[in-house]
Formats: sequence, C-alpha cells, structure tokens
Amino acid sequence: MLQQRRRALIPYVLLAPGLLWLLFFFAWPLVQVFLASFWSGSVEQGYTFSLSNWTNYPNAIEPVLPHVGRSLLYSATATVLTLLIAYPLAYTIAMRGGRAKNLLLFLVVAPFFTSFLLRTLSWKILLSDSGVIFGPLKAIGLLPDDFRVLATPMAVVAGITYNFLPFMTLPIYVALEKVDFRLVEAARDLYAGPWRRQGTLVGAIVGGVLAAGLALAFDWSLVVPTIGAALIGAVIGRYLVSEAFVRVTFPLSLPGVFAGSLLTFIPAMGDYVNAEFLGNPESRMLGNVIQNRFLTQNDFPEASAPSFILMGGILIIVIIYTRLLGT
Amino acid sequence: MTENVDLQLLISRRRFLAGSAMAGFAAFLAACGTSGTNQSTGPTNPPTTEGPGATGTAAPSVGVEATASAELNWANWCCYLDVDPNDDTKWKTLEDFQAAMGTVVNYQEVIDENEGFVASISNQITAGQDPGWDIIVVTDWMVARLVRLGWVEQLNLNNMPNYVANVEDVYKQQTFDAAMDHHAPWQTGMTGIGYDPTKTGELTSLKSLFEVNPKWKGKTEFLTEMRDAIGLTMLAAGLDPTKPTRADADTAVQMMLKARSDGIVRDVKGNAYTEDLTSGDAVLCMAWSGDVVGLVGDAPNVKFLFPDEGVMFWTDNAVIPKGAVHKGTAELMIDWCYVPEHAAQIEAGISYVTPVKGVKEIYQASTDDKALADDPLRFPPAELQPKLIQFGILNEEDEKYFNEQFAKVIGV
Repeated sequence: MLQQRRRALIPYVLLAPGLLWLLFFFAWPLVQVFLASFWSGSVEQGYTFSLSNWTNYPNAIEPVLPHVGRSLLYSATATVLTLLIAYPLAYTIAMRGGRAKNLLLFLVVAPFFTSFLLRTLSWKILLSDSGVIFGPLKAIGLLPDDFRVLATPMAVVAGITYNFLPFMTLPIYVALEKVDFRLVEAARDLYAGPWRRQGTLVGAIVGGVLAAGLALAFDWSLVVPTIGAALIGAVIGRYLVSEAFVRVTFPLSLPGVFAGSLLTFIPAMGDYVNAEFLGNPESRMLGNVIQNRFLTQNDFPEASAPSFILMGGILIIVIIYTRLLGT
Repeated sequence: MTENVDLQLLISRRRFLAGSAMAGFAAFLAACGTSGTNQSTGPTNPPTTEGPGATGTAAPSVGVEATASAELNWANWCCYLDVDPNDDTKWKTLEDFQAAMGTVVNYQEVIDENEGFVASISNQITAGQDPGWDIIVVTDWMVARLVRLGWVEQLNLNNMPNYVANVEDVYKQQTFDAAMDHHAPWQTGMTGIGYDPTKTGELTSLKSLFEVNPKWKGKTEFLTEMRDAIGLTMLAAGLDPTKPTRADADTAVQMMLKARSDGIVRDVKGNAYTEDLTSGDAVLCMAWSGDVVGLVGDAPNVKFLFPDEGVMFWTDNAVIPKGAVHKGTAELMIDWCYVPEHAAQIEAGISYVTPVKGVKEIYQASTDDKALADDPLRFPPAELQPKLIQFGILNEEDEKYFNEQFAKVIGV
C-alpha cells in the first residue's frame, strides 16, 4: 500500500525541479508583467492596479500597429528564407553527408560559439556602405554610390535569417535522418520518376514569385532579384525535386519543417536586436517598442500590454499553424 | 549592530523581490541588450553601517564638520574621471582622495541613461532605505525632478568650502536649486554637429541636418536623447529651446519625421553614432562634443561643428541621493573635485567643460597642458557664450508628451 503510494508520487518528484523552475522563473514574472499591464501611474508617483485600466491595451497597441505589421512581415519572411536555405543544407548533410556528417553539423552550430550580439554587430562591419563587400562593388561601378543595405529592412531580415538558420536546419536534419531510404527506393521501383521538367518549372516559379513578393513588400527593384531567384529556383528544382522526393521524402520530413518553423518564427517575432543594430527607424519591430517603453520611457503598463498582445498573437498563429500542419 | 544590518538586508531583499521586479526585469533587459560598452556591473559592496564620522584618518581643513568614512559609493557615467596614467584600471583622483582621507571609493560607471538609472534606485529612496550610492551624477532636468520629489539630500555647505568658492557663476542661475545646496555641477558639454568636411564640404548651419543633399542624404544621424534632438531641431527652426512648448515639440518632431521620409536620416542613435562616423556610414550627425574629440585617433577627418544657431548646452551634476549612508564623505569628495588643481587634473583626462574656477589659469601657467587652455570645447570663448543654449525644464505632463512625440522619431 505504502509502496504503491510512493510509486505514485515518483512522477511528481521527478517533475518537481522543472515545475518549480518554471513557476519561479517563468510563471511568476509572467504574472507580474500581466499585473503591470493593468497599472496606472508613474515611476515617481507609484503605480496602482485597477481592472479599469484595461484601456492600457487599446492605448498601447494603437500607435504600434505598423510595428506589429513589420514584426509579422519580417519574421514570416525570415522563416521562409531560413526554410529555403536550411532544407537543401539539411538534405545534403543527411543524405550525402557520409563521413563528413558530424563535421558539417558542427559547422552549422559553430556560429553559436560566439555571442549572438557579436555576430549581429559584425554584420555591421561586413555590410558597411563602403566595407569589404560593397566597397569593391561600388568601386567598379556595379552598384550606385548611394546604395546601402545597412539601416534597411533587408538587413534586418537577413540578420534574423542568419541568426536563426541553425534552429531550422537541425530539426529538419533530424527528420530527414530518420527517413527510411528503402521507402524512396520502393517509390522509384514503382515508377516515381526524376521529374526534371516539373521540378525546373516549380523551382523557377517558387523562386520568382518569392523574390517578386519580397521586392514588392520591401520596396526593392523588381526585375533583377526576380529573374535571379527564378534561375536559382530552377536549378535547385531540377536537381532536388523528384517525384519520390515530393511523394515520400518531403512528407516524412514535415515534422522537422514544422518544428524548425516554430523555433524560427516565434523568437523572431519578439526579436529586437537585429532591428536595433541593422535597421533604422523605418524598420523597428514590436520588440524595440517594448524595450523603449520599459527602459527609456519607464512606462511599465504600456510596455507590459503589448508584451501580452505579442504573446497572444503568436499563440493564435501557432494554433492555426498547428491545425493546418500539425503533428 | 550586525543584526540590524541583516534585518535591513532582508527587508531590502524582500522588497526587491516584491516591489522592484520590474526594475529587475528592466536591468535584465539592459544586461542582455545594448549595453555593450558598459564595463562595470554595479555596486559590489554590501551596505555598511559606517556613517559619516565613523572612521577617519586625515583631519580635514578647519571649519569642516564631517570626517571621512572608510568607504564611499559613487555612480557615474562613462569617461567622466581621469584615469591613472600609470595604471589604466585605476582613477588618479580617487587614489589621491584615498591617500588624503583614507576613504576607499567604490566608483562605478553604471549610468548610461538618466531615466533608467534613477528607476533602479527609486524603490529604495521611496522606502527610505539606503539607495546604495552616496554620489550619483545626473543631467540638470533630472536634478530638477529629483529636487521636486525630495529625492536628494541637502548639501551641508560647511563641508564644501571649495565648492562654494569655486563654482563658476554661470551655474548659479538654476531655478530648480537657487541656493545651490542640492547639487554640484560635475561636467558640462555641448551637443552640436559631428561631421566629415572632406565628404560634406564645410558646413555652418544646423539647417544642413534637414536639407536634401546627395552628399549626406542617407548618411545623416540624429540622437536618441530627446532634449538634444528636439533642442537642435528647434534651434534650426529658429525656435527657443529655453522655453519649450508642446507646439514646439510638434514642429520639431514634424521636421525630423520629414527628414526621415526625405531619406536624409539613416538612423537615430545613442552613443553608437560614433561608430558610423568612424566607418564612414555616416558623415553628418548630431553629436556630443566630448565624443567627437575622442574620435581623433580613429577618424581624423571628423570634426565638431559649433553651428551658427548655437549648441545645446547641458550639465551633469553630482547629487547625494536621499538616504545615502556616507553623506558627509560624499560632500568631502565633491568638494575635493572643486579644488582647482584637482579639477585641472580631472579635466586634462577628459574633454568637457569644467564648472570649476581657476582651471584655465592653471593650464596657462603649466608647461605640459598649456594647449588645453585654448581648447574651445573645454573653454568656450566668450563670444560663444550667448549661443550655449540650455533646454528649458519641463513639468511632468509636458515631459511625457515630449517623450511620446519624440518616440515617433526614434521609430518606436
């Protein structure tokens, strides 16, 4: 009897450290921020809590609607871009990695050995108007003199894409690694063809449409990136896409795509470092607003309210996404 | 005695958990955020029970009431004190003070923003506890707010004969502390233009900041410090920043937003604008005088421009926060820096305007530092004096309005 009761307790004992940790360092601060979102007052006068301060929410969110839009656009774009870069990468490592597999995986994770901030700041040096990349291009006349990437949305999206690439690559790699290659062989035996023509076409269309969409959303020039992306897409499509891939490998790797997208999209929505260092006032995201309200304006209620709206918004998006793609 | 301390520690810790979770969160954000250049971490010494007069090794001059305590906690901004030329981890002035008074000064460069720093000690002050610092250095408008709230100690001027004798007259006109017994000016600086004349050509006016010119379009940066940015913009518009109104704020914000939509402005930044001036990504910036002087080594072409319309002129001040444990020693320390020889030593190590009389004469008489006496950024010449503009003091509601409007310029 006693032993049975003891055994029943074991799961709780094992859960306890994790639960306590979460309670103390996640739930409790969360409650604090939630309460703060119903405060009124100022640092000097002190704050009072009242439910009638729900108006903090509409008041806090109305002036930052553009930032919400940008956060969505930038993080969604970055998620799609990381997927497009990470999938071929993970596929190559998983399927063709051979002996170099561990080394290649290490290289994916290697940037994490330096600080997130340092990596972002070093982009400032790389992308500097007359730095190592653009300096020579401007010197030979390939780019106009007033061309710049830093302090534009392009730099912010590129920074997020770069910083979150491993979060996309690793889950996809894990999913692809588990794919039983005999299934692919079976598909080929059952006349799943190489699909060269379709692959080229699909790749070109996906690449072209994506680049055109980006160009429109970010106000870049339209023609060059669209054609370039269509060409790259065509090449990738021709050699990566086969019927066996579309019917077998890709569906089996979806859990990785799903996990990777969430791991990229959710932190990217709240990110403020990339927008702070690589962007400018036209490209600030919701995270920058929250940071400014907490630290510069000392307006804790109007900082807490959008924090909660951000959380709620992400939750809704994730639920919809889970319903559509869910595992 | 020990029990007392423990109790106090306990209370303050509990209060910290309960009340100042927000401040803690803010500090956490700051820690993982942008404070890349901040070397110090905060007060490391626990509060002690030694009040003024507890110990003291050197007898101060006649008439002074306080004796120095064994320690003193001083929070300051970066680059505001002279480094020991023989050991760049030490501060020469503090070593001298320790040699004379026996006080070990815990000096930390923890302030990089007025609001954020004061928020970090406001809970202790309102609760009547030791704020952890005996001297803090904040800008005029913040002094005005602290005085209004009663958050600073009144200075015992009997302990500060050098301060009384040597503070420059121009500082004695502050409306927020007419008796000059709640704050002591620490350093003064100017906000004007930092630019690269080899790229932009010689400039003279603040209006350049708002002019679409291919030479600096997309390579111009504004400051995130509200009073500096709005002040300079008001000067460019011919308005008077000494009497700022809400209409002025609207005008200035509109001008800056237009400069942004015209593509003139590359970014709106704090101290980081110096990096862009160095790399050449920016060629025209709102800038702080001391910063631009410090760039000489990295960016020899970059110059500080004193625009025709004038510069914003601000002063950071030493104050003693309410409840400071070593108040008497803090007064002695501030007074120490008001001895002209000591001020001259500090000033030689940094490049701002000193509020202490007699420093220029010391430089003129010396052989090594003679050139400093003619530095217009350390000693603005008389004809420039009318163009040193101080931003007027805002009341709390106006200040909130100004900050909210200015947030649009920063893009948040």
